[in-house]
Amino acid sequence: MKFLNSKNIQTIVIFVIISGVLFLALSGYLTPVFNLSVNPLISLQSWLSVRYISIRDLLTTPRDMTVLREQNAILESQLTQLQTQLIVMEERLGEAQVCFALLDFGRTNPQYNYIAATVIGREISPFLQYIIIDRGTNHGVFYGMPVVTQQGLVGQVDAVIAGAARVKLITDSTSVVNIRLKSAGIEAQLVGSLTGDVSLDMIPLDVFVEPGDVVLTSGLGGNFPSNLFVGQVLSIQRRENALFQTASVQPIVDFESINAVLVVSDFEFVDITSLIPERGQ
Amino acid sequence: MISHLLCVLLLLVFYVLQTTIFSQTKLLSGTADIILLFLAAWSLQEQIKNSWFCIIAAGLLVSSISAMPYFAPLISYLGVVLISKALQRRIWRTPLLAMFLVVLLGTFFQHGVYVLVLQITRAPITWRESLDHVILPSALLNLIFALPAYAIVKDLAGRISPLEVEV
Repeated sequence: MKFLNSKNIQTIVIFVIISGVLFLALSGYLTPVFNLSVNPLISLQSWLSVRYISIRDLLTTPRDMTVLREQNAILESQLTQLQTQLIVMEERLGEAQVCFALLDFGRTNPQYNYIAATVIGREISPFLQYIIIDRGTNHGVFYGMPVVTQQGLVGQVDAVIAGAARVKLITDSTSVVNIRLKSAGIEAQLVGSLTGDVSLDMIPLDVFVEPGDVVLTSGLGGNFPSNLFVGQVLSIQRRENALFQTASVQPIVDFESINAVLVVSDFEFVDITSLIPERGQ
Repeated sequence: MISHLLCVLLLLVFYVLQTTIFSQTKLLSGTADIILLFLAAWSLQEQIKNSWFCIIAAGLLVSSISAMPYFAPLISYLGVVLISKALQRRIWRTPLLAMFLVVLLGTFFQHGVYVLVLQITRAPITWRESLDHVILPSALLNLIFALPAYAIVKDLAGRISPLEVEV
């Protein structure tokens, strides 16, 4: 019975206790005991963790703010650059659209050669309606050449230097354009005014003119090519005892916002002013 | 000499601004004339002794690009400066009031000359229509821009030749 000495008995008891505890733990009988012992530990761990995270955030947040501010400044700078690029691209798109429109006009009217020009200024005196373009004799622009846009007639070159030219608009008070009313089939004169409005003069009384009638250049007088679109009749004024009736015309070209024009370079301007008798002669 | 150079430089700047921006800023059919404003403010400065060179330069510059007969701008600017000199002696203590008066009278004189010249050249322009659509709106615009123009010119004239103060 040497096997049953006190040491071996102690080992067996410990083994039995551990086996029993394992058996009870695996079978779930010890869960309430574990909970009672683990919950305070978890609570302590959570409390400590929250405090640690708070302290860490407190210490590290200023550094993050600095980094974020730097990143924000970089992003704002990039945004500004992109916005600038967008504005430039929009401007180029606008210019390209004008160029395409002028090109279309040139294609649809291939009987003439055109010189494209940009409007760089306007007449200083408010009594006159003139524009200044950036093409002159160096580019083949000469006195008397008609000026058009993709929409229709603009005016005529009035003065020219090497690098620029002055164009008299059809809205100028001294401007007279011989026109043809498409529907009525008659010819008349389109005159400008101080306010920039244009009207038809010299329409015979027996001709029936309707609002909306299309106004085209007639080519008479040798100032402008024929069949250039000018505008549409807005209203007709017929006065008693008058020899002719008059009509207001809505020009097709927006003269306040002309940015680019085409100079008709191969139209032969005929100056007939010397053939027109002076008053009193 | 420096004042003449500055005058020509400013004239060129104001000319570019006038043809590109101010001629397109319309009130009815009237526009502001900042060259006139510049000349009025320039000739009202006490330290500018000889402003005739500036007037002739302005007249020739505007005549060269305007469709007006070449002498019309020159005459109108000469008139503006004469008005300015006449008023400067009478209202020398209140230069701002002088500036407003010069601008108002100068605008009427300038546009009066223009209408007269255009009527002589047989342009179908009437006084009534000109007054309603061009002269009065232009006068109003000129009065609006008179104050900033005077401030700019006074500052620049003061920089090139400060006023002498007697002790």
